[in-house]
Amino acid sequence: MTDLLTRRTPTPVPARPWRTGVGVLIGALLVILCVASLFIGVSDVSPLALITGGPGSDAAFLLVTSRIPRTVAVLLAGASLGIAGLIMQMLVRNRFVEPGTTGVTEFATLGMLISTVFWPGMPVVGKMAVAAVFGLLGTWVFLRVVRAVPVRQLVLVPLVGIMLGGVVGSVTVFFAYRLDLLQSLGQWSQGSFAQVMQGRYEFVWIAGAMVVVAWFAADRFSVIGMGEDFATNLGLDYRRVVALGMVIVALITASVLVTSGVIPFLGLVVPNVVSLIIGDNARRSIPWIAGLGAIFVLACDIIARVVRFPYEIPLSVIVGIIGAAVFLWLLLRRRGRAH
Amino acid sequence: MILQRPLATLSFVAVSALVLAGCSSTDTAAGTTGDEAAAESVSFSWDRNTADEDEEATYEATTVEVPTDPQNIVVFDMASLDTIGALGGEIAGAPLDSVPDYLQAYLADDAFNVGTLFEADLIEIEAQQPDLIVIGGRSAALYDDLSQIAPTVDLSISGSFLETLERNTEFLGEVLGAQNEAATALADLEAGIADAQAVTADAGTGLGLMVSGGKLNAMAPSGDDATGRNARGGLIYDVFGVTPVVEDIESATHGEPVSSEFLLEQNPDYLWVVDRDAATGTEDAQAAAAVLDNEIVKQTTAAEQDQIVSLNPTAWYIVFGGLTTTQLMIDDVLQIAE
Repeated sequence: MTDLLTRRTPTPVPARPWRTGVGVLIGALLVILCVASLFIGVSDVSPLALITGGPGSDAAFLLVTSRIPRTVAVLLAGASLGIAGLIMQMLVRNRFVEPGTTGVTEFATLGMLISTVFWPGMPVVGKMAVAAVFGLLGTWVFLRVVRAVPVRQLVLVPLVGIMLGGVVGSVTVFFAYRLDLLQSLGQWSQGSFAQVMQGRYEFVWIAGAMVVVAWFAADRFSVIGMGEDFATNLGLDYRRVVALGMVIVALITASVLVTSGVIPFLGLVVPNVVSLIIGDNARRSIPWIAGLGAIFVLACDIIARVVRFPYEIPLSVIVGIIGAAVFLWLLLRRRGRAH
Repeated sequence: MILQRPLATLSFVAVSALVLAGCSSTDTAAGTTGDEAAAESVSFSWDRNTADEDEEATYEATTVEVPTDPQNIVVFDMASLDTIGALGGEIAGAPLDSVPDYLQAYLADDAFNVGTLFEADLIEIEAQQPDLIVIGGRSAALYDDLSQIAPTVDLSISGSFLETLERNTEFLGEVLGAQNEAATALADLEAGIADAQAVTADAGTGLGLMVSGGKLNAMAPSGDDATGRNARGGLIYDVFGVTPVVEDIESATHGEPVSSEFLLEQNPDYLWVVDRDAATGTEDAQAAAAVLDNEIVKQTTAAEQDQIVSLNPTAWYIVFGGLTTTQLMIDDVLQIAE
């Protein structure tokens, strides 16, 4: 008896020492890919050209106006979309949701279309604001609808979200069709960083800022992830944290949308993979998700630039293919064990 | 019984008309001036794609007899609308929302709406009893439905742009009894195109660029065979003789996505820009000029020497192929001659 009370809780041994290894690997990959991203492109920007570049060389100019902005934009978009996925998953307590499977992306796209139609001369800030407001509305509608669904089955929740997105998406397509904007819609919603350069990507910093905010509020999201009652019992203002999460998700979705278009699957795949590696503690997993998301999009963007050199193929195609494969793998391995 | 088998009826009419046409063309040969030929019908043949949308294309030689001097013409193809109007015909029905401003004058005062460039309002067309329907390009798939209502011809591009322009203009001239006007107009345009080619021959390299939704697409030459919707991208090279800065762009309908860096690296002397969003009436804040107004494009020869040429988006993207429109296109190219 006394033994039971006085015995010290065993000091937690690092359960899986290989995690550190994976962390180092992610860091190294990130550095390698960043360097590759800076030096891969149509023009000749190589370290050699930078050093020896005479007055005729554009290397330094291109590095500053094109390569660095593009790399930064990809990093921020990749990192933040993973976080947006994580937060949605915490809010809904479901592993299969992300802005793309909950209708948030479709709502934000509708917002973009509406701002294009009604205020065509509006600067990009304005469009982003409209898209963000619609994204927020989308998150809210989704949360309301999910609450109304009686059965909280794992697959049912994203299914509801996908249906919601389908309805909103078809409204968008209908109006785009009537207004002859279908091809424009297709062009700007297709994910691609080809047009990213200085002066064209700065909004994605907002998404980057949201990653930091999410990190500060990480513990709250972890608690929210345990359910409303639990969170309230711990003295947390449930609604305020949910509202914060919604704002983060909407701002990330909208700023990535106006910068590069829709990047599918990311918010789904990355948080799930990270959860397999280090578990569900949001504070610990946020840097991992940011890093892995950045690596994923960066690698895909480099592939997009290289496959049809000197032309580019849309990034969303590559992310879609690789993302879908990883997602299937996640689904299938799930069957083997209860995760 | 006759109503149930309109195709059979139609072919019967066609055969009898063919006989008549045969007779009258003999008359013409005997006569002195072509314009007086009072042929009652003109035949038009083309290879019609009978496959469904998602099937491999299969072509069937199709010949349709068209009455001459039709009074009630329905046109889905903007290029044909342009040519019919330029030759003095009047259009009774068209997809009114798609008729560009500069072709509005060719519509009858009480012109009725026939649908969109892609879809037909069959009930309205049936009610209006047209005696000729012209389709082409975007509306080519409407043949089966429309040919039940009235003689329908598909004037889609077949062969090169110039071959098509010549074929369609001559055919429509014959239908409207305006062979001489057609011949004059064609000669004028050919001279204009030759002028434009002379100008572009000395202008160095060029790149056709379509700007849409804030993204850049490089256009490719389509060679001698402009059949299909690739045509418009290559017109600047194929018809107006611009030397392409790169040859191997795949002729995707809307070109190949490229970055601003691509423009700097290839560095064409001229950029020929079609603003797709302007063509469909969106005055997007990210219109072509805004997209191209960036630090990288500013470094290109085309920008430094003020050689970024805006092409009339409606003419180059929507209509391309009609008489008035071809003149607009020639004028666009001749801009650089000063």
